[in-house]
Amino acid sequence: MIFKKSGTMKDKISITENIEYITKIEGDGFEFNEIELENEYSKVQNDESSIAIKILSILGGFFAAITFLGFLLIAGLYDSEEGLVVTGLIFVCAALLLNVVYKKLIIDTLSVSAYGLGLCLIAFGLSALQVGGNTISIIFVLISLLTIGITKNYILSFISILTINGSFIFLIIENELYSLIHIYNAILLVLVTYVFLKEAKLLADNRFPSQLYNPVRIGLLISLLLGLVFVGQRGIFNFDIKYIWSSSLITIPLTIYVISIITKIIGITKVKTLYLIYSLCILFLIPTALSPAISGSLLIILLCFLVNYKTGLAIGVFSFIYFISQYYYDLNYTLLTKSIILFVSGIVFLLFSVVTHQKLGYNEKI
Amino acid sequence: MDREDIHIISKHSNWTESGIDKALKDKIYSDSKSWKKFLQLLFISLGIGCTVSGIIFFFAYNWTDLHKFAKMGLIEGLIISSTSIVLFSTLNLNIKNIILTGASVLFGVLFAVFGQIYQTGANAYDFFLGWTMCISLWVVISNFPPLWLVYLILVNTSFVLYAQQVASNWSEIFVFSILFIFNTILLGSIHLLPRIKKACIVPTWFTSIIGLAAVTFSTIGIVIGIFDSHQSSFSVLLLLAIIAYATGIYYGIKAKIGYYLSIIPFSVIIIISTLLIKVSDGASMFFIVSLFIIISVTLLIKGLLDIQKKWNNER
Repeated sequence: MIFKKSGTMKDKISITENIEYITKIEGDGFEFNEIELENEYSKVQNDESSIAIKILSILGGFFAAITFLGFLLIAGLYDSEEGLVVTGLIFVCAALLLNVVYKKLIIDTLSVSAYGLGLCLIAFGLSALQVGGNTISIIFVLISLLTIGITKNYILSFISILTINGSFIFLIIENELYSLIHIYNAILLVLVTYVFLKEAKLLADNRFPSQLYNPVRIGLLISLLLGLVFVGQRGIFNFDIKYIWSSSLITIPLTIYVISIITKIIGITKVKTLYLIYSLCILFLIPTALSPAISGSLLIILLCFLVNYKTGLAIGVFSFIYFISQYYYDLNYTLLTKSIILFVSGIVFLLFSVVTHQKLGYNEKI
Repeated sequence: MDREDIHIISKHSNWTESGIDKALKDKIYSDSKSWKKFLQLLFISLGIGCTVSGIIFFFAYNWTDLHKFAKMGLIEGLIISSTSIVLFSTLNLNIKNIILTGASVLFGVLFAVFGQIYQTGANAYDFFLGWTMCISLWVVISNFPPLWLVYLILVNTSFVLYAQQVASNWSEIFVFSILFIFNTILLGSIHLLPRIKKACIVPTWFTSIIGLAAVTFSTIGIVIGIFDSHQSSFSVLLLLAIIAYATGIYYGIKAKIGYYLSIIPFSVIIIISTLLIKVSDGASMFFIVSLFIIISVTLLIKGLLDIQKKWNNER
């Protein structure tokens, strides 16, 4: 669903109902700032952004930035390196200023294109000035951190999170320290799991601006996928990464941890059943240890379904299918052996579904 | 109460962590029931998916020791047994539909093996056409959206392959026009369907994909036409696209489908930008195009926001 069907119009009644509900859980200690709350709600109503609008802003900004780069290229405005850096900085600052001053959704396209263009110009200028890739990456990380801190705008924060993580990946490639991708993955895996599972803690914490929660969540998710691509068996990039399996040391325990949370939600308490579930999960996960991307994307699927985050779930499912296919494609067996492995695992999953059908007593028509 | 409410209220109050956690778990997060449903679907889809791909790999291996009758018999046996499960078992409808989707893919394997034995080539258009024909009845009977999607991909692929292999004198624009017309008519009929038959509900993601396909085909066709306007079908495509776009916008406003109001204008923006670059590819034109994109997309978003606000107020 592109446009949310329900709950967009927050009339007074539903807000009051929500407040009553919270007061019931919280008791008398619950206090809220009525004026600011109403302001925020009226602002949200005027600027209700859907996924379609976000994608439009990003695509529009992207195309505009590319044509503008074309203009610079043809007009030959590339001559002065310092000029490029200064123009780039001006564009970035203009994008930030626009956001701080207007705080309106409609200027997103303009600020995204100015911001992207600014970053490109800074990168071109600096590399023409013989500044090394490492320094440029660090400068980008700093600019992005500053952007998140200053604007807290959804799309700019999202782009900044991607830029930060992209810079780290660039640093790894530039310095040929490919094994460090495992550290990158480990940090992002833990971060993503933390952000998903500790939504309440982050929202309650006043130091964390709650409007940053959504862009940070999707930004980290995509950054994690970028890292996982590198460890998807031989993957697209043949960087000869050593010990590909080592990322599994993080993905598998985290997946099992999330499964333990799920068993609690479903309400499985019998120790015997729990043992059975864990051993089956480990049995499934161990063969995928050689391709940590598989368990990584499974973790994404479980986390997203757990917190009911549909966009993330779709991303997780597609990446899971992709990584599994990549894994089988890369396997050094004949097609016959592969077909047997796939067939057997297919039958095992079908058995799982029969068992869950019976054990969970799920009989309703979907 | 939705997630946004929780985010906003938590921002302007002293709501505690445990309280937010409880609200999230009560109102937003998946509960026991939806987990059971999800796991059931996950396992059955993984099971059917892996089994069918195992079977595909097995035949792709092209085992020479296996006699051709054995090969075809094996697949036919699998198809018959899986359809029997669908016909005679008491499983729930969704699971039956997933099995039928798997069986439809097996039909493709059957044709591929046939092609392998009799050397007809794996991407011959008649292979896809035969496959499409054979599963038509299942698609109609099951009325299962994912299977419909597979079916439509097959129809489009068969046509593209036919255009490449048999009708190679057709112009690119003509091919894109046909694809555009086909998908547009389909989309139109889906929207007209509920008027004829009440209980027919088509999921939004399905119409969104078809809509995107139709708009993409027309956009590509017109962009090609702009750079290579000798092709005769260009004017026809242009005319049809204008009619379809106008209808799409009208319907989008009437039926409150904001999605059409975003993809159609975006296609128009791309087409106009291409036209501008066709007029001149000098530096100043690139500058104008980038300004044009920013201004038009911004106006589009503003329009979308306004119309959304209007819809919200009417509700």
